[in-house]
Amino acid sequence: MRNVLTVLMVVVGFALQAISYFALAAPWVTTGVASGEPRVVGAPVLFIAGVVLVFLAAVVYELLPEKRGR
Amino acid sequence: MSANAPGTPLPQGIGRITPGWLTIVGLAAVAVALGIYAYSLEASEGLVATGLRDLGTMGGATWGLYVTFVVYFGGVAFGGVTLAALIRLLRLDELRPIGRLGQLLTVVALLLAAIAILVDLGQPLRGLVNLFLYARPQSPFFGTFTIVLSGYLFASLVYLYLDGRRDAAICARTPSRLRWLYRLWAAGYGDSPGERARHRRASFWLAVAIVPLLVVATSTLGFVFGLQAGRPGWYSAVQAPAFVTLAGVSGVGLLIVLAAVVRRVAGSEDRLGLNVFRRLGGLLLGLVLVYLFLLATELFTATYTGEVVERRLTEALLWGEFAGIFWAALAFFLLSLALLLWQALTRRWSIPLLVVAGLLVNLAAIGKRYLIVVPSQTHGQLLPYPEGSYTPALGEFAVIAGLFGLGVLLIALFMKVFPIVELPEEEVPAGA
Amino acid sequence: MPKYAMAVDLERCQGCRACVEACKVENNTSQGVFWMHVFRLEEGEYPETRISFLPRPCQHCDNAPCVKVCPVGARYKRIDGLVLTDYERCIGCRYCEVACPYGVNFFNWKQPAENYYMDWSDPDIQPASGGEVPPYRNPELDGRYGSEQKQVAGGGHFRGIVEKCTFCVQRIEKGLQPACVTVCPVQALVFGDLEDQESPVSTYLRGKQSFRLLEETGTEPRVHYIGGRTPGTDVREIEPVEGRVGA
Repeated sequence: MRNVLTVLMVVVGFALQAISYFALAAPWVTTGVASGEPRVVGAPVLFIAGVVLVFLAAVVYELLPEKRGR
Repeated sequence: MSANAPGTPLPQGIGRITPGWLTIVGLAAVAVALGIYAYSLEASEGLVATGLRDLGTMGGATWGLYVTFVVYFGGVAFGGVTLAALIRLLRLDELRPIGRLGQLLTVVALLLAAIAILVDLGQPLRGLVNLFLYARPQSPFFGTFTIVLSGYLFASLVYLYLDGRRDAAICARTPSRLRWLYRLWAAGYGDSPGERARHRRASFWLAVAIVPLLVVATSTLGFVFGLQAGRPGWYSAVQAPAFVTLAGVSGVGLLIVLAAVVRRVAGSEDRLGLNVFRRLGGLLLGLVLVYLFLLATELFTATYTGEVVERRLTEALLWGEFAGIFWAALAFFLLSLALLLWQALTRRWSIPLLVVAGLLVNLAAIGKRYLIVVPSQTHGQLLPYPEGSYTPALGEFAVIAGLFGLGVLLIALFMKVFPIVELPEEEVPAGA
Repeated sequence: MPKYAMAVDLERCQGCRACVEACKVENNTSQGVFWMHVFRLEEGEYPETRISFLPRPCQHCDNAPCVKVCPVGARYKRIDGLVLTDYERCIGCRYCEVACPYGVNFFNWKQPAENYYMDWSDPDIQPASGGEVPPYRNPELDGRYGSEQKQVAGGGHFRGIVEKCTFCVQRIEKGLQPACVTVCPVQALVFGDLEDQESPVSTYLRGKQSFRLLEETGTEPRVHYIGGRTPGTDVREIEPVEGRVGA
């Protein structure tokens, strides 16, 4: 349970970072005739949320109470 | 856990207000008040209150002291938590007592860097909103704003928190007014073998995640300057590695100074022994050597054949307007190098000498950061604009003094609330 | 979609700086702000000196460093090639300013209204003006332009943001030429659409040798210079603009 949750948080966190970085804010559109707008407003918040989630996994991993009877 | 008998004092002078502490905190508070006053003037008049002006026809520098210190504080932050993480990764158990100091230094320095950015913005409130809504990864600032200030800050807070749980549990055994805080922080930590193993594993992986994150983040600070093809003196591949190295230099240097202070005031002579300082001194020596190598490479490239503006800029650095700062910074680097080398070769390490070296490299680092930020703007124009000039206004110095005051204040407060040096293993009774 | 560009004929320019003046009037830029600047340059040693002039508007680069570095996308490039600033988005970090090799960005160091050349509230002026403030501000500057409908035209909007030459977007959208082009007495400035073979700028540039400023920095400017040459490294400005905003 503990391990599953932690790994899940790390995976989701990294996925969030990757998606928000590469898909939403489109770093390859740097030149040419394009406005400098990020594709989705608020994408940076998603990116930061991803970073936060990854590190929060460590807190969850340590703080989740032991199951009774183990 | 068994409660300690009432009357047992908390370790390291926590909760005891001494006249010396009050003096330091008072001075720091005065500095903060001064900074707030200076900023309030700037906020009402606009950035015209600073010495900054536009490049080109206005003949100024548009980034100055504030950006210098954004970079400097960012660097110090890098040094602190990277060291704390390396202690885990490389099993440098000797250095463990300063791990928390490193983490704390990072949290505080990042806070100061964030404030330094905000005071530099023309529209700080818009900055707070728009950066979250529209920040673009195409801008090298993306790294500074998101990775450095949020990722990094959050990571070091998590690290500080988890690493502190055991000490919080120990402190919670003593009745005190802060017991609720320790209980909250410990969050049920019982120091069972299972919990210990789990903490060891979690902090190892945290360290694994933090080191590359920080190298990337500090590199992006270098990229803020290094990627600008239109700005001689900035456009250089050595910028990112030099930023990371100088960040390490200033961080470790400041850590030595802080550790020496903590050793005295928190009565931790036994925990922060000479062996800790010897290790830090060795590390600082290595970093200073690498940095001087990078600096020499940079200067050699700029002067050997030399693109015209690049060479003109280097001349301003070496013999012109910025020569004073340049040679002073270099002299400080060399002096600290000599101090460290002498101690390393004779194997006679002395804490006062290490503190001097730590202070010198930090002064040099601040000087060098200034020389990265300013001259390329005033002397690095590619079009035939006349040379510009920048003299920081008194208000800018006051704001920076306020930032340092805030840093001292936060660290001093922390020291009265929580053990700033990790408590020794022995204090944990087996099976408690 | 048009592809706007400007041609500057250095053989015609006589350094009168009428364009500088026209720009300031049209765009209401405040003191010390020169969206259009004309370098008056000198090179060589007396008596072997050579004088030249170099008008410098924003270059509206195709690979604009300012657009790249803007952390919030306030500086953007339109499909028609104009590089504009969303004045309501800009946070005032001035990264565009240090990234631009041409020095065309100007920050509003103080409240723009307090930074014009004439202070109409000055008691010394009152007897002459009778307390009346003439309508000096161009009303078109407060409009929204382009398909994005952003506030991008003119200067003197907010304190603490960066503003720069817009190729007079408020005039272009009405089919007019930029103010500097209209006012130039010797027609050294030519503006138009590069896609349109018959536009003034296309016909002017056809068959002529041209260069662009600081092409080596990879910015791909939209301002083409004819006649003359890139300023050498030993040129000096004869009379530098003393435009430092005072406290």
